Amino acid sequence: MIGDSELAREFWEYGKSTTCPIYDMHGHMGDWPAIYFPRGDTADMIRTMDECGVRMLVFSHHLALFAPTLGNGPAIEAVRRYPDRLRAYCAINPNYPERIEADLASFEAHTDVFVGFKFLADYHRFSIADARYQPAWEYANERELLLLSHTWGNSALDGPAVLRQMAERYPRVKLLLGHSCHGEWDQAVALAHDFPNIYLELTALFDDRGILEKFVDEVGSDRMLFGTDLPWFDPHQAVGALLSAHITDEDRHNICHRNAERLLAPLMVGLAGG
Amino acid sequence: MRFFDCNAFFGLPAVRPLAPVATVEEFLAEMDRAGIEKALVWHIAQHDASARVGNALLADAIQPHPRLIGCWSVLPSQTHELPPIEDLFRQMQAARVVALRIFPSSHRFLANAVVMGDILDAMVVRRVPLLISVRRGMDWTGIYALLSDFPDLVCVICDHGCWGMDRLFRPLLERYPHVYVDTAQYLLDGGIESLVADYGAQRLLFGSGFPESYFGGMMMALRHAQIPEDAKAAIASGNLERILQEEEL
Repeated sequence: MIGDSELAREFWEYGKSTTCPIYDMHGHMGDWPAIYFPRGDTADMIRTMDECGVRMLVFSHHLALFAPTLGNGPAIEAVRRYPDRLRAYCAINPNYPERIEADLASFEAHTDVFVGFKFLADYHRFSIADARYQPAWEYANERELLLLSHTWGNSALDGPAVLRQMAERYPRVKLLLGHSCHGEWDQAVALAHDFPNIYLELTALFDDRGILEKFVDEVGSDRMLFGTDLPWFDPHQAVGALLSAHITDEDRHNICHRNAERLLAPLMVGLAGG
Repeated sequence: MRFFDCNAFFGLPAVRPLAPVATVEEFLAEMDRAGIEKALVWHIAQHDASARVGNALLADAIQPHPRLIGCWSVLPSQTHELPPIEDLFRQMQAARVVALRIFPSSHRFLANAVVMGDILDAMVVRRVPLLISVRRGMDWTGIYALLSDFPDLVCVICDHGCWGMDRLFRPLLERYPHVYVDTAQYLLDGGIESLVADYGAQRLLFGSGFPESYFGGMMMALRHAQIPEDAKAAIASGNLERILQEEEL
């Protein structure tokens, strides 16, 4: 068995837990050109979620991020199809600033679908501090929404320095550091220490042995969020890593569901507790 | 399920990682906690410091622990840093070492017939597995060139990367019948199921990537993959056991 706790025994035996549902706070959906996804369609992703005990996935659709022609329409369609299992981040592409006003209007019209915004600055080639993002920052700050930003170590576009600048400027945004400034771990810890509205999101970290223990020890599991980039990464792999890590089951509950439930509660009517 | 890990190391790397595993005793303790029965292991000094020194460190460390089977590093014969290949094979037998690794880009050589012909021809004859790592020491262009020169080589492609590499390794599985991939970093959702559906369960080996990855990650993924139990058993341990039985060291 992969660990020595009650949750490890339950997950190992059944692949999911009755007491520890998973809220995956960093997902995508659909095709992406550089990767073959065996399970990239909405129905296949729901099947994976069922197999792994993922109660809720909050995602940005690949097409919303990479096919500006289509925008956020496919995400709205998916959430409306599975309203008990999916919520979406409204993707903002700063290459088309003339569309951002319409994106915000779409958010306003679909508060049953969107719980926040997704920025992908490294890919879209604009800093998250660029003025083009400003309307979304302000909208999120006024409403205390989630904002999941792709973050990566040593990036001038979405690395620690510019994140610090934006966290100071918009303290009411619930700022989720996607990938936790991957590689600049000490800077991610410092940001979480300095800003109570910052959360460390764990996509792509479950394959870096030792980081879970470091964040739990130096930040605390109440500031960490489960994420997989689904359909990129198998949630069972992430769960297995979480169960192998030298942390407690209380930490695992915080990471898998408690923190996400707390963040989502004001944004979702009728959210079931874990 | 019985797990026989084909891809794990111990020892202190030159650059400190997040969670180093310094000794074989620490390594075994983590194996026991995870429930890994056996492992084909190497010592990080084989890559970071010296093939000769690393090989010796590995042999000494695993000697008292029959659950651990060794994988040494090999270098081109032109510089005479290691014994001639037949002598090396004899030393491997004595040290419970059953496979070899190469790190061409890190150790500054090319893995092709000009450079490695004597060694790799002998490995083909004796079916000695060669393990290569995309994470450490070999890129895809080099792998394609290597297999073009040695199409019958028993070759395990390890650490092929978490960012969706199916388009890179599937053609090699189709072309070369003795090529395998390991599970370390095969994080792709539905990847195990899709690969088994297209190529059978015989071409995938359980590898953890420990200590850089957690043992439990790919154990959990395999345990709950939507494939038959006999396919899981083959991937977890059976395929590697078969490969080693076919070896004529």
